[in-house]
Amino acid sequence: MTAHAHPGYRELHRYGLWLFIASEAFLFAVLLAVRFFFTGLDRPEALNVPLGVVLTIILLASSYTLHRGEKAAEVGDQAGLRLGLLLTMGLGVVFLVIVGFEWAAGFVEFPASTPYGAVFYLITGAHALHLLSGLLVLASLYIQAGRGVLDEGNRWKVEAGALYWHFVDVIWLSVFTTLYLL
Amino acid sequence: MATTISGTGTPTIGSRGLPFAFRGLLWGAIGFLAGALLTAGVRVLLGYPAFALEPVVVIGYVFGLSGWFLGVGVWETWARGWLGRETVAYKPDGWRRYFGFHQDHKVIGIQYGVTFIALFLIAGLLAMFMRAELMETGRTIFGPAGYNRVMSLHGLMMVLVAVTAVPGAFGNYVMPLQIGAEDMAFPRLNALSYWFWPPVAILLLASQFVGGWDTGWTGYVPLAVVNRPGQLFYALAFITAGLSSVVAAVNFVTTVVKMRAPGMTWRRVPIFTWAILFTGILSLLFTQAVAVALAMTIFDRIVGGAFFDPVLGGLPVLYQHIFWFYSHPAVYVMVLPSLGVLLEILPVFSRKPLFGYKWAVGGIIGISALSAVVWAHHMFTTDIGVTTKIGFMLTTEAISVPTGLVFLSAVGTIWRGKLWLKTPMLFALAIVFNFLIGGVTGVFLSDVPADVQLQDTFWVVAHFHYTIVGAGIFGLFAGIYYWFPKMTGRMLDERLGKIHFWMMFLGFNLTFLPMFWLGLNGMNRRIADYQPSLEGVNTFVSLAGFFLGASFLFFIWNAVVSWRRGAPAGDNPWGARTLEWLTTSPPPELNFDGEPEVTGDPYGYGTDGPAHAIVRGETGGEG
Repeated sequence: MTAHAHPGYRELHRYGLWLFIASEAFLFAVLLAVRFFFTGLDRPEALNVPLGVVLTIILLASSYTLHRGEKAAEVGDQAGLRLGLLLTMGLGVVFLVIVGFEWAAGFVEFPASTPYGAVFYLITGAHALHLLSGLLVLASLYIQAGRGVLDEGNRWKVEAGALYWHFVDVIWLSVFTTLYLL
Repeated sequence: MATTISGTGTPTIGSRGLPFAFRGLLWGAIGFLAGALLTAGVRVLLGYPAFALEPVVVIGYVFGLSGWFLGVGVWETWARGWLGRETVAYKPDGWRRYFGFHQDHKVIGIQYGVTFIALFLIAGLLAMFMRAELMETGRTIFGPAGYNRVMSLHGLMMVLVAVTAVPGAFGNYVMPLQIGAEDMAFPRLNALSYWFWPPVAILLLASQFVGGWDTGWTGYVPLAVVNRPGQLFYALAFITAGLSSVVAAVNFVTTVVKMRAPGMTWRRVPIFTWAILFTGILSLLFTQAVAVALAMTIFDRIVGGAFFDPVLGGLPVLYQHIFWFYSHPAVYVMVLPSLGVLLEILPVFSRKPLFGYKWAVGGIIGISALSAVVWAHHMFTTDIGVTTKIGFMLTTEAISVPTGLVFLSAVGTIWRGKLWLKTPMLFALAIVFNFLIGGVTGVFLSDVPADVQLQDTFWVVAHFHYTIVGAGIFGLFAGIYYWFPKMTGRMLDERLGKIHFWMMFLGFNLTFLPMFWLGLNGMNRRIADYQPSLEGVNTFVSLAGFFLGASFLFFIWNAVVSWRRGAPAGDNPWGARTLEWLTTSPPPELNFDGEPEVTGDPYGYGTDGPAHAIVRGETGGEG
């Protein structure tokens, strides 16, 4: 394309995405630090730990389905990719619905006007917004896969979406540990 | 990917009709209304009254921001790709290129430069009003409440200018040229980072119609939770600016690490590029913290959260921790790029190699690393505990060591040089002078017992203006006088430039030097009045401030006239060695008519070493 030497498209974008992930990791590191600074290790009795475990299993499963979809894309199996994306998005939506129910119950037991409530809704809210943005990315990939444009040359798009989704899942593991277990 | 670097053959848009920025405003307004109606609808469903200003503004703004971006050109150039459709390029000719989603780093650099000079002048005008109020004791023009509003707006705007102007204008325009790249690593992200700024400006303007805000640029709680709705606009504007910083930082770091021309090893990277790299790393990591602090403020305001209300168990000091965890590194985001400009200019106009290049780079790295562990020196009058304070005092004092390395590099470069006193050099030398005063007076503030006395006095005001204006903004103007010929192809007028310089330099020092004395004598910052014994000095400071303000009239005149009718600059008017001078002024679309290759030291002035770089096959073809 041009006369200048520069690295491959994929290498460049992978590097940029990892930088963005480092930045986002700082965001959540600060948020999780707020929990300890603000409420120490206190935790309300009403916190539904089993439900937190269910949420964790759902997200781990979603990472697995997305991984299957990505593997399918690598061998050119567009239908497998779309199935993986669809299952992952379904699990993501289920996750958000459960979080919604958990919030509704939590508003009664530990409202935002209590220290733990403020921390809980801020952190789970920040995570839910990231998950929502991940859902939009997956939806975009699903549409593109349907139009058949995710071919060999656009493999990076699938990789990027998957990397971001896995990152949001890993963040959930630290959010779950911080809010439900410690 | 249709990222259109090669230009020919790709369909383009934007060359006719209204500029896209207007369409962005329209789509943004539609988005805002849609978000506002959605919020009202959800509120009715949940059994609340339909309208409440702050929730409606927050949700409306998120939708409005999306509409703005789509309208300004993201839709055609980017978002269509998310739906699996073809994207097109925004590439109109002439003035239209500056009013839409253009992805050329040279266009974006000029967009940043002009936008931030404008914001700088508006914020400077606000400072003139502040000095008019402080000219005499008692109420002069707007009294305490109005003063705090104007002071807050001045503070935030100037902080945004100081954080963004130099990396935005020169990091974008010059850095890719310096490393021999054809553009930034992610041209669309680059355009995205710029187009965050008009919404910031709109928010700051809108904030004044709902009473403004009065916390200064720091937005301390609990005041920031209970005051007027203008505070919400402050928080949204600040978060938006932060998003722009993060996006830009990803781009800067990736570009410097991955896009350097063949032969440009780390030891041959120009010092300004080093400064931009570490500015990028600081912005990338720490900007997220201020977003957390402001999100907590919004949370408390809108849902009555417990973060900062002591009655509910809140901890206002937590805000200060998080805020300064970002905002102290941000001080170096303001100063490092200008120190880069300084060390870039000194060797050219001293005709000597940069003294202690490796040590200067080490200084930049050391400043960046230490900047992460000094934040609580802004909190010496809180209850954080004596041992904590002593710790932060020591880390703060330790920062003078890497800063000293940069300083020694500057002084060593000038030492026994044959100084060529053109306007850029005058500004660079002024940085050395100002930053020395700023640095030495900072040592007093890093000392806990002294700081307890000096906190919130005009000593602090004088100190940070000496660092952030004396180095940061002087660096902005040094850069403008140095790189304007490259960006426009025309020279700025030397005579007007020197008038601007001397007025600005004298005006600046006459304004801010007496403020140290005012602070020692107990004059508080952020208060519209002072004890009558300080009136004479305040009147003097105000007059000097007006003189400083007038200096920029010469700059505007010079810039406007020279951009149109200045003397042709040629490729390399300063006889400099770095790569941005080895191409035409302004450079062609892909920056070089050939393939740049780096062959030597960037600062070997007056030595027998090889040239820093050559451009192979200068025929405009595929070298």
